[in-house]
Amino acid sequence: MSGSAALVQGAVQACMPLQLGDWRSLLAVIGDFLSLSLFSFGGGNTLLSEYHHLAVEEYCWLSSRQFADLYAIAEAAPGPSSMIVGLLGMGAAVREGPLWGVLSGLAAEVAILLPSTLVMVAASLSWSRLRDSPWRLAFERGLGPITLGILFAVGLKILRISDHDTPAYAVSALVCLLMLRTRISPLWFMAVAGLLGALGLVNR
Amino acid sequence: MTEPAPPLAPPPPPSPPPGLGELFRGMLQVALSSFGGGLSAWSQRIVVEQRRWLDNEAFMTGLTVARLFPGPNQINMAVYIGSRFHGLSGALVALAGMLLLPFAVLMLLGLAYFELHMVMAVDPVLSGVIAASAGMALSMGFKLAGGYSRDPVALLLAAGSFLAMTVFHVRLIPLVLIAGPLAMAWYWPRQR
Repeated sequence: MSGSAALVQGAVQACMPLQLGDWRSLLAVIGDFLSLSLFSFGGGNTLLSEYHHLAVEEYCWLSSRQFADLYAIAEAAPGPSSMIVGLLGMGAAVREGPLWGVLSGLAAEVAILLPSTLVMVAASLSWSRLRDSPWRLAFERGLGPITLGILFAVGLKILRISDHDTPAYAVSALVCLLMLRTRISPLWFMAVAGLLGALGLVNR
Repeated sequence: MTEPAPPLAPPPPPSPPPGLGELFRGMLQVALSSFGGGLSAWSQRIVVEQRRWLDNEAFMTGLTVARLFPGPNQINMAVYIGSRFHGLSGALVALAGMLLLPFAVLMLLGLAYFELHMVMAVDPVLSGVIAASAGMALSMGFKLAGGYSRDPVALLLAAGSFLAMTVFHVRLIPLVLIAGPLAMAWYWPRQR
């Protein structure tokens, strides 16, 4: 009996949301975001599958479905789409109340932006010296292909967690094609696809 | 229907460097103007053509630096503009100006999502929006892929990184720490 109880407890514990009141776990989370910040090459979207790993699998703030919801909200909202981190931070603490949700969202956003901002300030101020450095050339050419592979992995991951029906996959494929071939604002794709969803033509 | 395309004007004479308050207001204007999308085009229009803080060449250099270093491109661009005039404090002020409003809107949307349980009502709409955003996420890789079609080593590196993440579930940081130096060594500029 105690064995099965422990098993059940283990299964529950596997998805116990982190207690952010405990300052050590709070520091661990902030540390995760601070270090990811320095690896956000290729515009920041490369981090999406890491965000999913942290928020859904490791710390269990959100379900995979909620993550897909928040990604869509962040894409549709004004401003850089990498602000999804603010929503993830909110998801981590919102059960303690809306104020904690907002504070936690702000903390997550600051943590993901601060290190890359400091590096960027240093880079902007010393660019004239970096411009022709072999480090810069090797860095630019070498990181490009890796970023490419990561972006494909991220695209596949988002497609997988969005858990579509067939018409929705067709919408995704069409949007992908139009993004590459036209200069139409992504907002139109969102609006039209949202309407298709409201009409019940695409589901998940 | 399309993103605002900046008109090609002759390079305007640069105006005196903006103060911190001006920097904040300028980036706020960029953020407000781009609520319908096209952040990059708007930032060029406002920073180069209207306020004349940078000439076009300096702006383009900024885009290169912003793309090269970690961090979201548009946010890095704000950091570049701010730090050019006032170092770290300029960068933080420019960031605040650019992010304050979008972040406030995002927090309100997040609260509506989590607190008001509007999920049931908007769930079908969200399903559609997710289908569109998944397509956008997928397009990011294809956008870069064309540049590497004639470089077998680059394609090998890309395929390796892709497989490492999708099949072997390697996390991003160890992947970059291992594959990054290897790739840099291969692409180290050599005299040939």
